[in-house]
Amino acid sequence: MLNNYLKIAWRNLYKNKVFSLIHILGLTIGITVCMMIFLFIMNEFSMDRFHQKGKNIYRVMRSAEAFKIKVPYLSGPYAPALLNDFPTEIKKAVRVMTSQKLISFGNHAFNEKKVYVVDSDFFSLFTFPLIKGDAHTALKDPGNVVLTESTAKKYFGDEDPMGKVIEMDKHQPLKVTGVAKDVPSNSHLNFDLVIPISNYFKENWFNEWINNNGFTYVLLDEHVNPADLEKRFPAFMEKYMGKDMARIQAHFDLSLTPLNAIYFEDSSSFDDVKHGDKSVVYIFLSIAVLILVIACINFMNLSTVRAVERSKEVGLRKVLGALRNHLMWQFIGESVLLTVISCGFSMLLLMLLMPWYNNLLGYSLSVSWTAWPIYLFLIGVIVAVGFLAGSYPAFILSGFSPIQALKGKFKLGKGGAMFRQGLVVLQFSISVFLIVGTLIINNQMSYVKNKDLGYDKEQSVVVPVSSDDLYRNLNLFKTELKSNSNVASVSLMSGEPGGFYDIHSFEVEGQQDVFKPNTEFADFDFVKTLGLKVIAGRDFSAQYPTDSTNAILINRTAATKLGFTPEQAIGKWVKNNMRDESRRRIVGVIEDYNFLSLKENINALFISPVEDWRVVVIKLKPGRIQNGLGVIKDAYRKAAPVYPFEYSFLNQKFDTVYKEDLRQQTILSIFSGLAIFIACLGLFGLSLFTAAKRTKEIGVRKVLGSSVHNIMLLLSKDMLKPVLIATFIAMPIGYYCMDKWLQNFVYRTPLHWWIFMLAAMITFGIAILTVSFQSIKAARANPVKSLRSE
Amino acid sequence: MLSLQHLSKYYQSGGNKTFVLNDVSLDVDEGEFVSIMGPSGSGKSTLLNIIGMLDEPSEGYQYFAGEAVHLLKDKQRSALSRTYMGYVFQAYHLIDELTVYENIETPLIYQNIKGSERKALVADILDRFNIVGKKDLFPSQLSGGQQQLVGIARALIAKPKLLLADEPTGNLNSKQGDEIMELFLKLNKEDGVTIIQVTHSEKNAEYGSRIINLLDGKIESSRVLNHQ
Repeated sequence: MLNNYLKIAWRNLYKNKVFSLIHILGLTIGITVCMMIFLFIMNEFSMDRFHQKGKNIYRVMRSAEAFKIKVPYLSGPYAPALLNDFPTEIKKAVRVMTSQKLISFGNHAFNEKKVYVVDSDFFSLFTFPLIKGDAHTALKDPGNVVLTESTAKKYFGDEDPMGKVIEMDKHQPLKVTGVAKDVPSNSHLNFDLVIPISNYFKENWFNEWINNNGFTYVLLDEHVNPADLEKRFPAFMEKYMGKDMARIQAHFDLSLTPLNAIYFEDSSSFDDVKHGDKSVVYIFLSIAVLILVIACINFMNLSTVRAVERSKEVGLRKVLGALRNHLMWQFIGESVLLTVISCGFSMLLLMLLMPWYNNLLGYSLSVSWTAWPIYLFLIGVIVAVGFLAGSYPAFILSGFSPIQALKGKFKLGKGGAMFRQGLVVLQFSISVFLIVGTLIINNQMSYVKNKDLGYDKEQSVVVPVSSDDLYRNLNLFKTELKSNSNVASVSLMSGEPGGFYDIHSFEVEGQQDVFKPNTEFADFDFVKTLGLKVIAGRDFSAQYPTDSTNAILINRTAATKLGFTPEQAIGKWVKNNMRDESRRRIVGVIEDYNFLSLKENINALFISPVEDWRVVVIKLKPGRIQNGLGVIKDAYRKAAPVYPFEYSFLNQKFDTVYKEDLRQQTILSIFSGLAIFIACLGLFGLSLFTAAKRTKEIGVRKVLGSSVHNIMLLLSKDMLKPVLIATFIAMPIGYYCMDKWLQNFVYRTPLHWWIFMLAAMITFGIAILTVSFQSIKAARANPVKSLRSE
Repeated sequence: MLSLQHLSKYYQSGGNKTFVLNDVSLDVDEGEFVSIMGPSGSGKSTLLNIIGMLDEPSEGYQYFAGEAVHLLKDKQRSALSRTYMGYVFQAYHLIDELTVYENIETPLIYQNIKGSERKALVADILDRFNIVGKKDLFPSQLSGGQQQLVGIARALIAKPKLLLADEPTGNLNSKQGDEIMELFLKLNKEDGVTIIQVTHSEKNAEYGSRIINLLDGKIESSRVLNHQ
């Protein structure tokens, strides 16, 4: 019996090539998109789950009233103190500092950006398996280093890297004592080289409590409740940090974040490990579901209308003794077969598209064809689509009365037609919703991109101070560049716009409480180089020799927050509790500019001419970019020989800050485009069917004198009605959801009415195009032919 | 074998009943070959469909093989018709997507007969109807007469006691029609299959042992033929 069903299913597929193509194409696209999203989501939720001790690993977080968020950076002494004070609760404490190092050996030099400086327990706490070397001893000596597989390959090719010596920052030799497997993409920790933190044990900065510079991970005893432990942290902080906290008038507290939860914490400039966004996961999940719904609806509608063509077969089978459930199973079997075929195509398509998808995502996902989740997913799809979507047409078909079916008098019921129209409405509501969403997201991103940020970002090159050599020779570097004719100005600073800004606590004249603005530490050329506007007072100037110790600039927001007009703020004193010995006077107020990303409001900013220089911003003269870059490169060579020259353009900062948003925008656009395509495929199928069904009517009308134009209108009108209804349903929902989404942005574009008009027009345009293709064909057919066939 | 008593079929349209069959009573014995005749719209096909349990009467009593059909449930009725009846249609009604072989095999599948047994049965009937060479062709590749032959083979595959034929020769030329009629006669005489056929053709009706004339849903006359 099964054989018979399969045969007829296959022959039916073969016979109705257009419908089969519509079915399979729609389903294949739908399933492929869903598999892609499935892989993405699986990866997101598998974050950091591969650590064997992961259940008991926590990251110690520091919070203070100044920050609204928790900060993971702690200084060196925390870990030993925690182990000392909570010996039964905390089994292990491992510090992880992220760093950049110059690695050289022989004639090779690499600027390694993902160097982890860690405690020797690192590889026994985390499950990053070593291919070579011993996890317990690999980082025992300060002179050890563990490479990842790819790093080892990059350095030594196929040679055995064990025991090889490489040089770090040109002064410290390191012996390779281990090779770790490459870090999987579902890990928030991500390194290329690992060196022991014992290298810094003797450094002063490392042993200061307030010098926060790395993460601390702890392994708790299985029986310890982290909440109980957290209750004991205030006393711990008071014991070790009490004096410091009193001095800088700040209060810090500690808390524990489970390893599994780190990835989905809010990302911020204060925590530069890999972060994910749960709302993005949910958006993707919804798209997957919506696309699958659209594909299923296609399936149900097309199968049902096609049922009319198969009514003869159904009637016959009944006459020949088939019971209703025989037929139900036959039709469900057919839809399962279609789904299985589509799943097969999807798997092929996915394999083909994986490189492109990885490129789109910006990291590489791998499809584990040998593991069960993907198959479980596919089986789920087959059951959901094949059985659920297949059972509606099966139910309708098997309900035919045999005599009517054989006479071809069969008509699909009115109620059923309403239901199917309802499905089309649902389909297009989803499509319109996705178009609205995509348009608004694109609109918002271009708004953000083109917004006046308040500083001059053109022709500016940013060079990070990434090595000690460069740091030592910064003044030389700057002087050399300033004297060059291609260079307009050069400024050394702690953070470029869009970069890193610390928060310090200040005492301010006339203020009861300490004030906590973002801080910038820069030289005197800062305002000039970034093209900022001084709205009161003056800029730093070499004419005032005391400026470097006594002056400070603030932005408009800072003045406002302090309750001053820009003019009133001039001359007031402030004191940085963490950095300065003495008070500084406000010499100028600058106009606000977006020094943080546009996701955040402009905060108060204090700019002090203090040496804490992490980047050099070089403004080139117009039209001199190529020459200018050559000059900078030469100067860099002199200041920091060996180190590879690295730079970026200030106007590209946007792309890096919004990289993730841009990626998601692209992916979202593509997926919603596909959703619309699938929906139109369904509409095309329906119009194909309607035109075929109404051949006779069209013939009669033409004989009676109707024009091609009238007939097109007649055919298209019915098909487009559900699209119109869908548009009206989807608009308010789209408005509501996108309004919610825009709340994520501080600077947002208004929800223009034309976006909704455009979305409606796009949908209609595509739908009309789809429908009229068939309508024209039907309307222009010779009526004699269609009537003769009766 | 079957008995219809005071059987009516009507459609309610507005307040009026439109009768297709009006108070028809009819008995058919095993081994009979009945031809039903009458002008278009006289209710021939409806009567045949009701006998074949493809349609239900609006009123009246219907007995078949000792069962009161009007009291049976759908499933039981279906089981009854499956085991006792074979159908032949004017338009052949073969399944286009199946080959000759598969078309003939289909009724056996629904009776849950095993594969090997099905093979033997189909091979046997193909042989008997002389269409072994056509078994892998699709209906569209056959002439009308050949298609009807397959239709009859399919109707007979499950060894029915009653063969119902609705204008079996209506789409055929007279030579093909004669062949089909000879075949019916042979089935009736040699295999003892009861046959009820609906026909327009006086000549074809003469093959039967009894001719029933319908007019406006009523039996106008019933005439027994005496073949030598």
